[in-house]
Amino acid sequence: MSSKWNKSNLMGWQFVILPSALILLFSFYPMIQSLLLSFQSGKGNVYNYVGLGNYGRLFSDPMFRQAVLNTLLYLIVQVPIMLMLGLVIAYFLNMPSLKFKGFYRTAIFLPCVTSLVSYAVLFKSIFAVDGILNRMLMSIHLIHEPVAWLMDPVWARVVIIAAITWRWTGYNMIFYLSAMQNIDPSVYEAASIDGASKTRQFFSITVPMLKPIILFTAIISTNGTLQLFDEVVNITNGGPGNSTMTISQYIYNLSFVYTPNFGYAATVSYAIVIMVAVLAFLQLKVGGEKK
Amino acid sequence: MKKLLSVLLLVSMTASLLAACGSSKSSESTEKGAANESAGSTATKKVVAWAWDPSFNGAALKIAEELYAKENPGFELEVVDMAKTDLEQKLNTNLAAGVKEGLPDIILVNDPNIQKYVTAYPNTFADFTDKVDFKQFSQYKVDALTIDGKVYGVPFDIGVTGMFYRSDYLEEAGYKAEDLENITWDQYIEIGKVVKEKTGKYMATINPNDEALTSILLQSGGSWYITPDNKGNFVDNPVMTDTLRVYKGISDSGIAKPVTGWSEFVGSFNAGDVATVVSGVWQIASIMDAKDQSGKWKVAPIPRLNVEGAVNASNEGGSSWFVLDGSANKDLAIDFLAKTIGSSSEFYERFLNENGGVGSFIPSFSSEAYSQTSEFFGGQAIYSDFTKWSTEVPGITLGMYTQEAKDALKNELPNILNGADLTQSLANIQKLFEQQVQ
Repeated sequence: MSSKWNKSNLMGWQFVILPSALILLFSFYPMIQSLLLSFQSGKGNVYNYVGLGNYGRLFSDPMFRQAVLNTLLYLIVQVPIMLMLGLVIAYFLNMPSLKFKGFYRTAIFLPCVTSLVSYAVLFKSIFAVDGILNRMLMSIHLIHEPVAWLMDPVWARVVIIAAITWRWTGYNMIFYLSAMQNIDPSVYEAASIDGASKTRQFFSITVPMLKPIILFTAIISTNGTLQLFDEVVNITNGGPGNSTMTISQYIYNLSFVYTPNFGYAATVSYAIVIMVAVLAFLQLKVGGEKK
Repeated sequence: MKKLLSVLLLVSMTASLLAACGSSKSSESTEKGAANESAGSTATKKVVAWAWDPSFNGAALKIAEELYAKENPGFELEVVDMAKTDLEQKLNTNLAAGVKEGLPDIILVNDPNIQKYVTAYPNTFADFTDKVDFKQFSQYKVDALTIDGKVYGVPFDIGVTGMFYRSDYLEEAGYKAEDLENITWDQYIEIGKVVKEKTGKYMATINPNDEALTSILLQSGGSWYITPDNKGNFVDNPVMTDTLRVYKGISDSGIAKPVTGWSEFVGSFNAGDVATVVSGVWQIASIMDAKDQSGKWKVAPIPRLNVEGAVNASNEGGSSWFVLDGSANKDLAIDFLAKTIGSSSEFYERFLNENGGVGSFIPSFSSEAYSQTSEFFGGQAIYSDFTKWSTEVPGITLGMYTQEAKDALKNELPNILNGADLTQSLANIQKLFEQQVQ
């Protein structure tokens, strides 16, 4: 059969070859190089192969453990809150009876277009000791002394979580909203004829219909949270102590703040890769289509 | 027809790909050619430098360029300004990748990074040992630049510390200038309590996430977070123990206003919330920003620790100029730095007058510029005081793992402030540091 190399096939390959070459060169080649780098250790430009030494070091590294715990905390607390919030907001914004829909949608999506650094700086100033929040709370006599939010390990984490939630909820909401608009209204009509309440409709129709989108947003949010960097660096710079430091910030510190050890930094990066892969796999298993 | 189209498409895509490669190559070569040409025609008279503050260290280079060009007509200096972190990242990535192109001839290095760079990137920085008479500089500054008997740069600005204070607040609390000379930190805390009680103002600011104060305390006792051979210096170190005792004392006594960042810190004294600021000499510029407080400020030596050998002088920050060993204009760059920043009193006088920068060049200390009095500081000859203290600063080796050690300390600091056993905490810090550095 000569159909293997027929015209349309050849055409297809022509389109594919250029992007493939570019991806190979700019994406896969650096990945392999950094994998090789993760087996080396040293300082600056003096490196030697240590085999799996860096990976062994990971498990006895208290800073790394702290960074992973912090990051997982953000993940476990923040991602579910954000996704649920996004879902609920999307549901309300999709109600046909709602007035000024465009205004609300814009208002809730707007945080997503702000730059990561600038909104982080804003949050920092809001939660500063002299910040607007403390002044507000003091003027309504909820507190007498200003609270040093960013110097308390628990509050500092709460601030980070609040900041990320503010920034990304609207982003996820847009996905849900567009998916909801694709649900045939006749399904709801049929459900209400059968006597299903609005709440029942939400949990039995909307959520199951949105399952692939929820899965998608869960995976990208997980991925995003594991790579969290800008917010933490700008709001708390990892402090107080190292109680808000994320894995990405630790990688940055290893490369640029401490005596540079790019080998070990690459190892930590691969730890993130493995974690993202495992979590995505789990989420697919739990929430994915059964075949 | 379709076939023709697809062939055309393929050809054009391949061509554009090749063209892209070709053009990038050719542009590269012309760039190189141009660089070589310009280097040739001006007979290597142009030097490139990286610095991070156009109104301070960048401006200093401009002064130096003017001075050097008088003797060496045709000399040209290009100062590339970028943010400090950008500069450090760029240098790190370039050196780690082994790429020398695009790096400057002269680069500004923050003093705590000196040993890190020299050890992590061997044979990268030029040796200045015989090029500059280092006896003319404050010893502690030269100590920071010396690694294995070689001096790797030209000392630049210093951060000799002083205790800036609001004389009006302290007078209100019943303290005169002489009550603040040569005191200990314990006395400082007692004064702070009285100030807080009588004026309602805080004595200082505190930020557990910033190591400035602990660094100042350690150096005033002649010690540092790490030993000269890069081991943790937390356990069995009386200076470290006393530093943390004082730190906890300041925190516990309630005389310090908590701040979470640099702008809040500066804001606290500009707004008149605190009575004293213990900081480097470069803080003068920020203090003088509050024009309405003119005449109300004075400066005294910092308090001292309660340990053997501790002095009322320390240092915070400061930087030095390095020359890259592989640069094309290495000799010219060395000569330029050695003849200006390395030996010219005129340079330091102008740098102080025009930019308020204080150097560590001892011959310049007796000049007119350094003996000027400041109206803002109630007619005090602040610069001559600072330079006097700068000669008392204990020389220490900053080592290459300062940042790692600071982070290990930061990790445990909340526990220490909450009253955990200090000996145990110091052992924890030491252990954490050793795990970090391997």
